[in-house]
Amino acid sequence: MEKYFNASYIWESFPMLLPYVKVTFLVAGLSVLFGTILGFILAAMKLGSSRIARKIANGYITALRCTPSIVLLFLVYYGLPAIAENFGLLFDNVDKLVFIVITFSLQFAAAMAEVIRSAYQSIDKGQFEAAVSVGLSDFQAYRRIIFPQAFVVALPNFGNSLLELIKEGSLAYTIGLIDVMGKASLIIDGRFNAHALETYIALSVIYWVISIIIEQVFLKLEKIFSKGKQVIKTT
Amino acid sequence: MDFKFLVDTFFVALSGVPIALIITIISLLIALPLGFMLALTRINKIPVLQRFAQVYVSFIRGTPVIVQIFIVYSSVPLLLTSLFEKYHIDKNVYDINPIWYAFIVFSINTTAIMIEIFRSAIGTVSKGQLEAAYSVGLTNVQAFRRIIIPQVLVTALPNICTATVNLIKATSLGYAMSLQEITLRAKVAANVGYNYVEAYLDIFLVYLILCSLVEYVFKRYEKRLSKYKTAHA
Repeated sequence: MEKYFNASYIWESFPMLLPYVKVTFLVAGLSVLFGTILGFILAAMKLGSSRIARKIANGYITALRCTPSIVLLFLVYYGLPAIAENFGLLFDNVDKLVFIVITFSLQFAAAMAEVIRSAYQSIDKGQFEAAVSVGLSDFQAYRRIIFPQAFVVALPNFGNSLLELIKEGSLAYTIGLIDVMGKASLIIDGRFNAHALETYIALSVIYWVISIIIEQVFLKLEKIFSKGKQVIKTT
Repeated sequence: MDFKFLVDTFFVALSGVPIALIITIISLLIALPLGFMLALTRINKIPVLQRFAQVYVSFIRGTPVIVQIFIVYSSVPLLLTSLFEKYHIDKNVYDINPIWYAFIVFSINTTAIMIEIFRSAIGTVSKGQLEAAYSVGLTNVQAFRRIIIPQVLVTALPNICTATVNLIKATSLGYAMSLQEITLRAKVAANVGYNYVEAYLDIFLVYLILCSLVEYVFKRYEKRLSKYKTAHA
């Protein structure tokens, strides 16, 4: 057994892995985009007056929160083509990326729905009433008064969800997407399963750096956007 | 859709629940006290340990669980082989049950999350509580056991619940260590006839039931603990 630890493989892995960070970000970016849209819809359903819509949204969020990403990923990957087949559609030529983006959008939407709901509810109702009373239309009141305040509240939670998403996104390698994680397992295969540890260490450092950067960016953003925040002291 | 397979595999998947639960419980039993201790080192600013806890939390929270699994799964055997060689223990590293690796990975992972949970929860208990406890003559241990920890638990419990659900979900990644839990069992059953849709539907249902139950138990416990909740002054 020729298994020993050689740190030079860690350094060697970085230039091979780094170009694939793009793919990781592409998956995350698209999922954030679609997930946020769906999250808004879900949050609106949850806050709305229709009881059925509220039940559906709650059920969706609970179900998604209880499902491991890997299970959801395979459910989408095998399930969607099976459903499509019933309608006479063939999904054979669809890129893997589509399934991955669908999976993580669905998951991100559940997280975002809660983030948006809690942010919206944290804003005092009087804010909206005051805005309307000075003659703003409903839309203006939301756009100029409610949204900027809710945005600041939502920002840290949004950052956390994004980090979660990027980390969970690593599971896309299981259906064969070549992102950083997928590339890492390719590298390991290329080395005939030797020096797996060194490659994974390099991979973990890349993820670590990404998450530290995102964390710092969101801290900065929070500082920038909360400049107008006025804390009302409750005595 | 093969309904007979769907029903049969549901029970196959269900048979993996004990393993998932054992891993969850063992990891929590290790992570809860350890996380609490390390959270205290951060709050009390104990020089070296504080720094260690900070880097540890940042690393664990910054990397995917699957990568952590692979790191442990490929590094621990290396360490053990050299240890076994050194002390002439005649045991093959590859005979070790993967559940031991699962205990290591998920304990390490959950400890980091617990540090963060307890750090914020301990912060909500005012210092006066501890001082008051000392002033009536309680020892350090008594003060923590009877005064501080119950109050910390009240605020920490919802987060511990989320962490537990996440942990159960994360055990699904045990397949990477060929751990015979819910996901792998159903997947193996599906390999025979390519009934993947049914198998994953079953897995989905099992996790849904399991996690809903855990959430329900925590809700009940939360209600019981809420008697310790102090009213806002």
